[in-house]
Amino acid sequence: MKQRTIALAAAFTLTASLTACTQTPAPSGAQPQSTSNAPVVVSYGISNAWDSLMPYNSPSGSNYSRMIYDKIYDRLAYVHADGTLSPRGAKSWESADDGLSVRFHLDEKAAFHDGTPVTAQHWADTIVRMTDPACPTLGRSAFSVLAGTDSSGAAVAGETLGVTVEDEYTLKLTFKSATTPEDFLLDRNREYYVLPTHLMEDVAPADTMSMDLWAAPIGSGPCKFQSEVMGSALILTANENYQLGAPGFDELDITVMDKNSLLTALIAGDLDYYAIGGSLSAADQPTAESAGFEVLEGTVPNTFFELMLNNESISDARIRRAIELSLDKELLCEQSTQGHGTVTGTSVLPTCASYAGDYNTAYDVDAAKELLTEAGYDGTTYSLACTSNRQGLAALMQQQLEEAGFSVQVETVDSTTMFAGMADGTYDMGIASHTPNALPLWFTESRFTAENNIFRVADTAPYEERIDAVKNETDPEQRTAALAELEGYLAQERPFIPLWFGTALHVQSNTVSGIDYPSASFSNENVWEWVKE
Amino acid sequence: MTVIPVFFGITLLVFVFLSVAPGTIADLMGEGGSAIASDQAALEERLCLNDPLPVRYVNWLGDLFQGDLGLSWQTGRPVSESIAQRVGPSLILTGTGVALAILLAIPLGTLAAWKPRSIWNKLASVCSMVSFGVPGFLLSLVLVYVFSLTLGLLPASRMYTTGTSGSLGDLLYHLALPAAVICISNLGELVKQTRAACLETMGEDYIRTAWAKGLKGRAVLVRHVFRGSLTPILTTVLTHIPHIIGGSVVVERLFGWPGMGSLMFTAILSRDYAMVMGVTVVIALTVFSTNLLLDLVYGLVDPRVRQGRGGV
Repeated sequence: MKQRTIALAAAFTLTASLTACTQTPAPSGAQPQSTSNAPVVVSYGISNAWDSLMPYNSPSGSNYSRMIYDKIYDRLAYVHADGTLSPRGAKSWESADDGLSVRFHLDEKAAFHDGTPVTAQHWADTIVRMTDPACPTLGRSAFSVLAGTDSSGAAVAGETLGVTVEDEYTLKLTFKSATTPEDFLLDRNREYYVLPTHLMEDVAPADTMSMDLWAAPIGSGPCKFQSEVMGSALILTANENYQLGAPGFDELDITVMDKNSLLTALIAGDLDYYAIGGSLSAADQPTAESAGFEVLEGTVPNTFFELMLNNESISDARIRRAIELSLDKELLCEQSTQGHGTVTGTSVLPTCASYAGDYNTAYDVDAAKELLTEAGYDGTTYSLACTSNRQGLAALMQQQLEEAGFSVQVETVDSTTMFAGMADGTYDMGIASHTPNALPLWFTESRFTAENNIFRVADTAPYEERIDAVKNETDPEQRTAALAELEGYLAQERPFIPLWFGTALHVQSNTVSGIDYPSASFSNENVWEWVKE
Repeated sequence: MTVIPVFFGITLLVFVFLSVAPGTIADLMGEGGSAIASDQAALEERLCLNDPLPVRYVNWLGDLFQGDLGLSWQTGRPVSESIAQRVGPSLILTGTGVALAILLAIPLGTLAAWKPRSIWNKLASVCSMVSFGVPGFLLSLVLVYVFSLTLGLLPASRMYTTGTSGSLGDLLYHLALPAAVICISNLGELVKQTRAACLETMGEDYIRTAWAKGLKGRAVLVRHVFRGSLTPILTTVLTHIPHIIGGSVVVERLFGWPGMGSLMFTAILSRDYAMVMGVTVVIALTVFSTNLLLDLVYGLVDPRVRQGRGGV
């Protein structure tokens, strides 16, 4: 009798559970309802913590930190996903001094959260302070494009720094070489913020980072700081006086949570939206859609996948080319992006004005084997580093490379270890992805210098020469030709193997409208246009 | 007195392991391998990463002696400030979960031992099986699926509803699921230990004497069996205190709970070794304090220890 009772209870529990599991999702049905007097709050999830709230004191300089700075501090412009620009701190801009300078006309309505108007002097003082060698600025190399700075971005004594206040609301930046406003803003906009220098006048540059100001920062961005649990939660309030308009909410609550919990929290109604751009994998798309969310594909590619190569341990270009021939990029791309990617042989986006072709090499195992024989490959085992979320991709690559005769060992590590291991020569190959932009040199310019030679090429000079040729060319046709020269050389040497461009899927918020999802890949969000329903 | 060398041993070991681990915070700079050497050098210089390891350890120790855990490498703010912000939420979450587990495990374990052929014993076995067999992350996902996504009864994340001032009711509402996971994860061990301790006590001579005296079952259970089993039960319970302070990495990350576990996790990922060392110090001190507390409690519950007859 007792056993029968237990069996009946178990059956009831199982039935109840299964019935519950088949019910239509009822997100947030039981959550406390807000009253008409309650503030309108946008709940925002983010998978990685930000650094210091002082934008020039960020050790990682990560996109996650920039997403926070973007809200508290103002930038010169807003960069759209397709590479076009809109006014932000600056209303307009124009090239000056034969392309060596850019003149920014600042928005007179811009003001810091303490009410002080933002003037050109604030921008100039910010740049002067951050380039002062005595100031412990992190990421100072962002200023190295300005005249009067060295390669680290520090101001050179005795030289005139490339920042001029022409009048209260006109700022002029002068560069070391001719630079169009569009090139400068696409490349550097997310690294230039205006600081409340009127609150820093009595502080020595050396003491800048230890100011109490950064515990409760005052910026001039669309949101004001309210409180923070360091590395876990941040509460911002809407800046009603933001020059581009007040955000359509009262409060923005930002919470750090595991990447895998973001979509769950969105479906459960705990979040309104999550960074970066509400992106989700193709595998999660049906889950989001079945929960009543619309999922849209981004308008432009936002991820570039590459196979990093160690040119010191794989010193023969024929072996590097054989690696590329051995990889069935189409299959790998399909496996990785599930139809949301396009294979490529270049890091340059097809939307780039100077685009010179895709330089892709078709999958050809026989040609790879021939090249290996020609190069006298001795069967050396190459290490292939990847992060845990790319283990499947790495296994597939390993299989394809072994079919061509390579010996490969996969090592799963975290991304910091992988990039450090590539830089110091620990690994021979590594799978990485990056956020591309419409500039022709967004990827190559920073990777073939004495300062950063992550592919460990024996001589960076041939690359630097060709990169400089692209950089210094202002005529569109000549620039495309210079880029073709660089891309041709890269295809011949293959210091890294471009794999494919991926286009993100964005899960659309059901509660917040006006979000420009794709542009989040440029670490900027149009929060002043967000409206919480 | 062995506590002092053990404490320094722990800090030294952690410091050395962190130093030899691949990649530093400077390697995090830039997006995907685009870091500029001068930027990395500036950071390394600021954090004295180029100093020899013994020098860095002695400097860190010197600051510690002055009560200074240093500045977080990631946020540039005092490590102690971050820890102070995170200890409370961890205490609330893990403390509630463990307290619930204790409240359930002690009566269940005792009854399971007392009536080995009853439903209590079967229930204790099922609890142990679920607790030991189902990993915390899976349990979290199942509970979120059922109670948040399907039934819509409880929130899946955060400590408070956004935009609220954080009332007790709201806290409990958000606490339910993560605390349940912690409770279930700890329940198995506590039930098992309680049951084993009671079974051992029930075989003692003085229990037979108690029965022989004609005491009623409840009196034997409460006054003799349970009391006699208290020492091993307390050992199990008190050894959970460091876990309560240290937080639960998986549960805190999955539920977006701002506790010590997620702080440690973030610090390790971002190579913020000042923070890792700070959390290590707090956890090590908690372990030592717990051991001291255990010694004191043994004396209270076991007269043989009080009288120096080595009851434990």
